Amino acid sequence: MVDETVLELRGITKVYPGIVADDHVDFDLKRGEVHALLGENGAGKSTLMNILYGLTKPDEGEIVIAGKQKSFTSAKDAIAAGIGMVHQHFMLIPVMTVAENIVLGVEPTREGVFLDEKGAEERVRELSHQFGLAVDPTALVANTTVGQQQRVEILKALYRGAEILILDEPTAVLTPQEAGELFEIVRSLTADGKSVIFISHKLNEVLEIADRITVLRRGKKIDTVPREGATEEGLARMMVGRDVLLRVDKAAARPGEIALDVREVRVVDERGLEKVRGVSFTVRNGEIVAIAGVDGNGQTELIEAITGLRPFTGTVAVGGRPVEGNATPRRMLDAGIGHIPEDRHRRGLVLEFNLAENLALHDYDREPDSKHGWLYPKRLIARAGRLIREFDIRGGGPLTLARALSGGNQQKVVVAREVERDPTVLIAAQPTRGLDVGAIEYVHRRLVAERDAGHAILLVSLELEEVLSLADRILVMYEGQIVGEHGAGAGEEEIGLEMLGGRKAAAA
Amino acid sequence: MSQAAPTANVPPEQEPSTNFTVKLGIAQRAGGAVVPVMTGVLAFLAGGIVVAATGHNPWTAYKGIWQGAGFNWLFHIPWNTNTINLSAFNLSQTLLLTTTLILCGLAVAFPFRCGLFNIGGQGQYLVGLVVANWVGVSFASWPTLPHVLLGIFAAAAAGAVWAGIAGFLKATTGAHEVISTIMLNWIAIWGAQYLFGQGGPLQNTYNPAAPESGTVVQSAKIPVFWGSSALQGTDVGFFVALAMLVVFWLILNRTTLGYEVRATGFNPDAAAYGGINVRNKYIQAMAISGAFAGLAGALDMLGYLFQFGVLDVQASQIGFLGIAVALLGRNTAVGTGIAAFLFGGLLYGTTRGLNPNVFDPGLAGNLTSMIQGLIVLFVGADILILYVWNSRRKLKRRVAPA
Amino acid sequence: MTNHVQPLTTRGWVPSPRAIAIAGGVLGVAAFWSTIPPFTARSPVVPIVIGVLAVAAGIWATTRGARRIGIGAIAAGVIGIGLGVVATRSSSSNLNTVFTADLIAQILAFATPLTFGALGGMVSERSGVVNVGLEGMMLMGAFWGVYVADKSGSWAVGILGAMVAGGLFALIHAVWSIHFRADQIISGMAINFLALGVTGYFFEQLYGQQNIPSGVSTVPNVRLPVISRWHFLGPAIGNLNLLIWVGILLVPLSYVILFKTPIGLRVRACGEHPRAADTVGIDVYKVRYAAVTTSGMLAALGGAFLSIGYLGGSFTENMTEGRGFIALAAMIFGNWRPFGAWGAALLFGFSTALAYRLPVYSGSAATLFQTLPYVLTLIAVAGVIGRSVPPAADGRPYVKQ
Repeated sequence: MVDETVLELRGITKVYPGIVADDHVDFDLKRGEVHALLGENGAGKSTLMNILYGLTKPDEGEIVIAGKQKSFTSAKDAIAAGIGMVHQHFMLIPVMTVAENIVLGVEPTREGVFLDEKGAEERVRELSHQFGLAVDPTALVANTTVGQQQRVEILKALYRGAEILILDEPTAVLTPQEAGELFEIVRSLTADGKSVIFISHKLNEVLEIADRITVLRRGKKIDTVPREGATEEGLARMMVGRDVLLRVDKAAARPGEIALDVREVRVVDERGLEKVRGVSFTVRNGEIVAIAGVDGNGQTELIEAITGLRPFTGTVAVGGRPVEGNATPRRMLDAGIGHIPEDRHRRGLVLEFNLAENLALHDYDREPDSKHGWLYPKRLIARAGRLIREFDIRGGGPLTLARALSGGNQQKVVVAREVERDPTVLIAAQPTRGLDVGAIEYVHRRLVAERDAGHAILLVSLELEEVLSLADRILVMYEGQIVGEHGAGAGEEEIGLEMLGGRKAAAA
Repeated sequence: MSQAAPTANVPPEQEPSTNFTVKLGIAQRAGGAVVPVMTGVLAFLAGGIVVAATGHNPWTAYKGIWQGAGFNWLFHIPWNTNTINLSAFNLSQTLLLTTTLILCGLAVAFPFRCGLFNIGGQGQYLVGLVVANWVGVSFASWPTLPHVLLGIFAAAAAGAVWAGIAGFLKATTGAHEVISTIMLNWIAIWGAQYLFGQGGPLQNTYNPAAPESGTVVQSAKIPVFWGSSALQGTDVGFFVALAMLVVFWLILNRTTLGYEVRATGFNPDAAAYGGINVRNKYIQAMAISGAFAGLAGALDMLGYLFQFGVLDVQASQIGFLGIAVALLGRNTAVGTGIAAFLFGGLLYGTTRGLNPNVFDPGLAGNLTSMIQGLIVLFVGADILILYVWNSRRKLKRRVAPA
Repeated sequence: MTNHVQPLTTRGWVPSPRAIAIAGGVLGVAAFWSTIPPFTARSPVVPIVIGVLAVAAGIWATTRGARRIGIGAIAAGVIGIGLGVVATRSSSSNLNTVFTADLIAQILAFATPLTFGALGGMVSERSGVVNVGLEGMMLMGAFWGVYVADKSGSWAVGILGAMVAGGLFALIHAVWSIHFRADQIISGMAINFLALGVTGYFFEQLYGQQNIPSGVSTVPNVRLPVISRWHFLGPAIGNLNLLIWVGILLVPLSYVILFKTPIGLRVRACGEHPRAADTVGIDVYKVRYAAVTTSGMLAALGGAFLSIGYLGGSFTENMTEGRGFIALAAMIFGNWRPFGAWGAALLFGFSTALAYRLPVYSGSAATLFQTLPYVLTLIAVAGVIGRSVPPAADGRPYVKQ
């Protein structure tokens, strides 16, 4: 391999309000290599690549390509400099053909006016043959598989003359077989002199495909290591770091009856992909069971199924009684499920409603809030006043709009509403996302208090620290399945490894 | 399992949560009454510029319209309620139109609060008109009160069904309510022409040459409270409309249905999470909206029209005006009431109420359409202004040291 | 899986299910056609046989994937049989009054403003901007077309004036929907109200009670040299207004531009997935501005056809009388495709033309017949027969990252 550097990022810094997304990150890429960018969600990988692709402007730092310093103002500039990006969410138009998608924006023409479809298809065939990317240029994208769509995206970049290819979490949407095929493609690309930046948070993949690995953590580059000698354990340690855990004071759990019994739940998403593949578990009264895992491994779909927001197959029993018929949110609420949703702006709150109205979201249609369809706003307000005091919600009174509150206080509103219903099972999905330390501590204490009061708690979190400090039992979810179960004292590295698919072979 | 991915159904991008209902909520809070007033003033100013540019005196024109609407009566204290007095008569006519506009405005405002845009007020109004005419012409032996009530309830129910079709299609097939209400409008417009036209089932029996409906019998006429019933006085339907403003407010703010409607309008995802059946809300909101418009048709037919012809159907625009009324009134009860009164005056003051020697009614009538259009346009823009204003504030916060 | 998008190319001429389905549709029309002048088959067997063929073709095509058009062919066959049989029972003289050669001319005339409007709406919506303001843009074209033609003495300048007026109003809609990200329905409705007021006001101001003077320069008819003397075809298409031909030519032209050129590909990309278009360097805003403005100019042509084309130099307040909305319906019914929209425009034109003639049978039924376009469109959006599916990003403002 010729040791020629095709790309250098020097001291890239990007600051967003409240967070430093990238803090003086250096990165370089050699011709014909696969350089993996490894890090947790929010480590700064995406921001770095958006800067390289001209979608985001850096606050500091420089981009050097083939020895020349570049400044990108749009994706167009980056494309012209020979950079291609395959986004995690494909930028493809389903109702157009593969060839049309590939040539869009730089179309070949006949007589200078007409779209040269034949020429486009021919060129696509050539390219796909050259790099071993089997696609049918005349097929509609809507009728192709996800794996094929990814090849189309790669062809799109190659068609534009990309020498440097950014693959953003390319295996997140693929089946294992498709991932294998992708690796073949990547190898054939590098053999042809292309360079690939491979963004991932899955250790096994990175070790399989990368020549070098750069680890980012909280916007800082930790290290760049060659694949030789790198281990999953070592990389995991670099990724997760050795930060001090937020320990929560809690007594040992005293699990009681089974409160939530989930059996063989399967969920298929809008794209027809099976996101939850036969998950079974139980949660008992008086214990906190946490589902750990990297984002996008089916946790969201699982929770939406249990709470009636998404159709599923399998059975869910609450308090020993299986839920009959079609699960609707109403039915699940009535069965005794409380739910702190993962996105409080999208689901948890009606931001244009005041606190009294938001706190009544589940119970507005029963006494004392209402009677025979007649609403009693005074009672809503009275209850809201009580809950605001009880849960220490600050920044407004019962008539304040939810939108006006800080994130932490908005979450307290959600927590107050769900806890106050005295649910058999309380599901908390990423309950501390985007909150400050004080609010996080509050939510944690509240969850433990609920547990001690004998409720069953199901916690979903992307933060391993949170899982470790709260859970009495830990389930690890990976690619739609539970791949591991641990007690409260489980080791961080062991769980981290499972979250990243390190034990996939063993678990499968 | 099939590997094909039906990506066609996946929305290409996640928009920020700024649907129209939400924006309106923001606008309402940030601007209060100032913004709608400014919107109106701006539209009248722009209309005045057109008037001036075409060589007329906008001041005299607007003054003429003011008097034509009978608004000057309000300032002639002590009030002389005798409608022999021209300004009193004009105002009584303005109130007749206000009645219709309040209800047509509510027909737009109510579904708006549920996140739906009902463009079909005109069609629902016509359906109400037709049904009320049918009831009013038939059942001649009935006493007044039940006859009028039957007409009103039948018309409201018909309007509810007509609008409910759009709600049903939205809930079951996802068909956009804007498209379906536009189509339902024209079906109603042609349908009414068929029913009242020559050989139509509801054509009058005494003059087969006239493409007009039969005349509502005496027992179905709503009593007049101001002016003479022979001279198209204001009927008590006006109070029904005022009552409906209260009903509208009560439904929205004092019933669980209103709570559900508002939650759905602001955030359907959160509503579904809260246990609300969002699809049912779409159907119910449209049906209630149609009932308002159908009621408007009934009050007009039984209150002062008594008869309607094919030409009247073609010329009728008042249901469309409900859009401007609701938007200017910010989809609130009080706002809709005020906007309806304003537009009622404008409508009467630019047509029959206007002294032709002051300003050409041919021009003035079109000035109304222009102002209507400008108001609707500016409502679109003022939300933008607030949006820009808000994002500028956000931007400032971002620029400030983090 | 249903999908309404045909592949880009049809290679060779193997009778595809699609072609068979279209043939079935044609046969369905023929079933009815055979019973009316000039053919006037008097035996019900003729339409039944042809109609059954149409249904058979439709079923064959439906089972082989061409579902939407196949079902259309079946429907055409059934309706063709029904109408054909009814026609064979009707008296010849009545038939001769209703189905004369100039029914064709009239269908084309009624369909022309709808064609312009529908194609205009299609251009705008294909780029991702909903256009319910077609009615207003059309009305602007109608008035300013006749005004400019009157003042300049040239119909050609009049057409230009119409296009400028329609384009300007469309530009307002574009600024509102693209830049201000206003609700596109509200903005479109505002355009309609505003156009009604502006045209009415200036009509009154500029012409007062006198109306448009006679002798305004109008768009000429095209007398086809040989055909105009032929039997049937002569009165049918031998002497049509120039704008009718322009409208007809615009259909294949817009098809070619939309589906066979890079420009069309980019426009459609903006309407389907603006972010994808943006990432490959297409300026989504520019494309949408151009498309919406073009849309207004096309709609205005339809209006100009009314005022200085078909109706020979006249204007009345609210002259378009909802034609912009029928055009919208035609666009939706035609599934946002040029030939589909044209077919729908012809169908709606046919129903209007027929409504004008049906009074021979029943005046009131003729009026009821006018609801047909709207009923059909309602059925189409509800998805009873092959759902009408708008471009994926239609009506969504695009926000750059």
